[in-house]
Amino acid sequence: MISDITLGQFFPGYSPIHKLDPRTKIILATLFIVAVFVANNPASFLLIGVVALILVAVSRISMSVILKGIKPILFILLFTALINIFMTKGEGAPLVEFWIIKIYKEGIIRAILMALRVIILIIGTSILLTYTTSPIALTDGLESLLSPLKKIKVPVHTFAMMMSIALRFIPTLVEETEKIMNAQKSRGADFTSGSLVQRAKALVPILIPLFVSSFKRAEELATAMECRCYRGDVGRTKMVKLEYRARDYIFLAAFLLIIGLMISLAILPYKFELDGILYGVPFYKV
Amino acid sequence: MNEILKIENVSFVYGKGTPFEKVALDNVSVSFKKGRITGLIGHTGSGKSTLVNLLNGLYKPEEGRVYLDGEDIWEKPKEIAKIRYRVGLVMQYPEYQLFDETVRADIGFAPRNLGLSPEEVEERVIEAARFAGVSPDLLDKSPFELSGGQKRRVAIAGIIAMRPDVLVLDEPAAGLDPRGRREILGGLREYVNTLGTSVILVSHSMEDMAHYCDDVVVMNNAKVYKTGTVEEIFSEAESLTAVGLDVPVVSRVAIALKNRGINLEGTLYTTEGLRDAILSYLKGGKK
Repeated sequence: MISDITLGQFFPGYSPIHKLDPRTKIILATLFIVAVFVANNPASFLLIGVVALILVAVSRISMSVILKGIKPILFILLFTALINIFMTKGEGAPLVEFWIIKIYKEGIIRAILMALRVIILIIGTSILLTYTTSPIALTDGLESLLSPLKKIKVPVHTFAMMMSIALRFIPTLVEETEKIMNAQKSRGADFTSGSLVQRAKALVPILIPLFVSSFKRAEELATAMECRCYRGDVGRTKMVKLEYRARDYIFLAAFLLIIGLMISLAILPYKFELDGILYGVPFYKV
Repeated sequence: MNEILKIENVSFVYGKGTPFEKVALDNVSVSFKKGRITGLIGHTGSGKSTLVNLLNGLYKPEEGRVYLDGEDIWEKPKEIAKIRYRVGLVMQYPEYQLFDETVRADIGFAPRNLGLSPEEVEERVIEAARFAGVSPDLLDKSPFELSGGQKRRVAIAGIIAMRPDVLVLDEPAAGLDPRGRREILGGLREYVNTLGTSVILVSHSMEDMAHYCDDVVVMNNAKVYKTGTVEEIFSEAESLTAVGLDVPVVSRVAIALKNRGINLEGTLYTTEGLRDAILSYLKGGKK
């Protein structure tokens, strides 16, 4: 079922991560992304991977939900991994040589590295943002973070409102699509067989009703907002004011520490050996 | 009497393994008789719509079986599309599924999918439009120009055009005014009598059940609470109020009279029936 897609879904809860200020979470997510891309050797990957797992544990989101969220991108992940394995040229002799295919050690390492990066990236950002933050809190935080841009006449509030409306209506649209698909299936529509052209044509009975109802819904929403005197952020007050608390500072400090550690692990020219494995050396120099 | 659709020990769970898990049907067994209008009634969230989606194979039961005319519909999963032609499902708010340029083309969508010739398609469109109460002058209009009630009827015609063995209507009158209600539900009897098909009517209105149905299935909390003919169900009207269903005003009057020691006889769940019962009681009293 389409509604099984969990990517971009919010799971309400009361964990410390749920309670963080959305602005903190946006900043943490940004730091996390930087950290993931800085990572380039076993030690730093281990560190960021452990951080991601700790985030999962603290958020009390079940691992099965997270795995389900990764499932949709599994194909892309495999595809890029394969491309990396076959296309990367190494310095030494190839590990496998068969017909025109040559597989080097560097290719395998790079493939693993890319896959790990993407998986850690998705786990970290979805735990910090989508799974634990309601879309409204998220856009609220974003608006607040970007509010300095208002000085140079960027319509920050409008963007934030547009974003929260878009996010809010994703589940509705998914549900609606499923409903319309079921209705057309009940009339014998077939979406799964036939040539590419036939399949594209089979989408018409879904897309037209979907567009019609989306436009109608947009119009109704606009009217409802006007009825409640919405006129942008002019003179608008907030019921829940965003406030940084002790836990926000703790998480921020911890993340800055981790980032510092990551950068030093990644660029400082030192290395250590443990159980015969060389740590602190970038993968590409192995 | 013959059973056209039968459900055996069916369970269905939404969002299994997520925090949103919800049991929609819990070991449900029920059957629907051929040539009858069966009402399916229950609260919002009692599992009515889920049950309906299982009947034509849109959902696959986690456990249990669904039989159409004695055959398990999931025996050949690849041919489930054929089942959907035989169990015509009109979903809730079906007007949202209209998409074609004209009403005629939209009603003809299912017959075209069936691979019928243009002449046969046209014949079925005319027939379906007649049963669903779509007047012929609407056929060449765009479905988006019509009123809400008209759109609803066009959508129902789109299903009738498949000539299904069973027509399943999920809340066909939701959001319509009393006149629109009568126009849609009033034609059902003629449809069943003329074509000899069966109808399953989902509703949460007891008045609809009393007026338009032969049999009633009452659902409560993912389970079948009661089944029987309209007479049987309404003779125990008190037990329906126990599960929070609204008993028709007429039945409430009958119950109140009974509580005051006035025992009426006859069909007490329609206005006409109660009137006759009261009249004959009064005559009897004068004797």
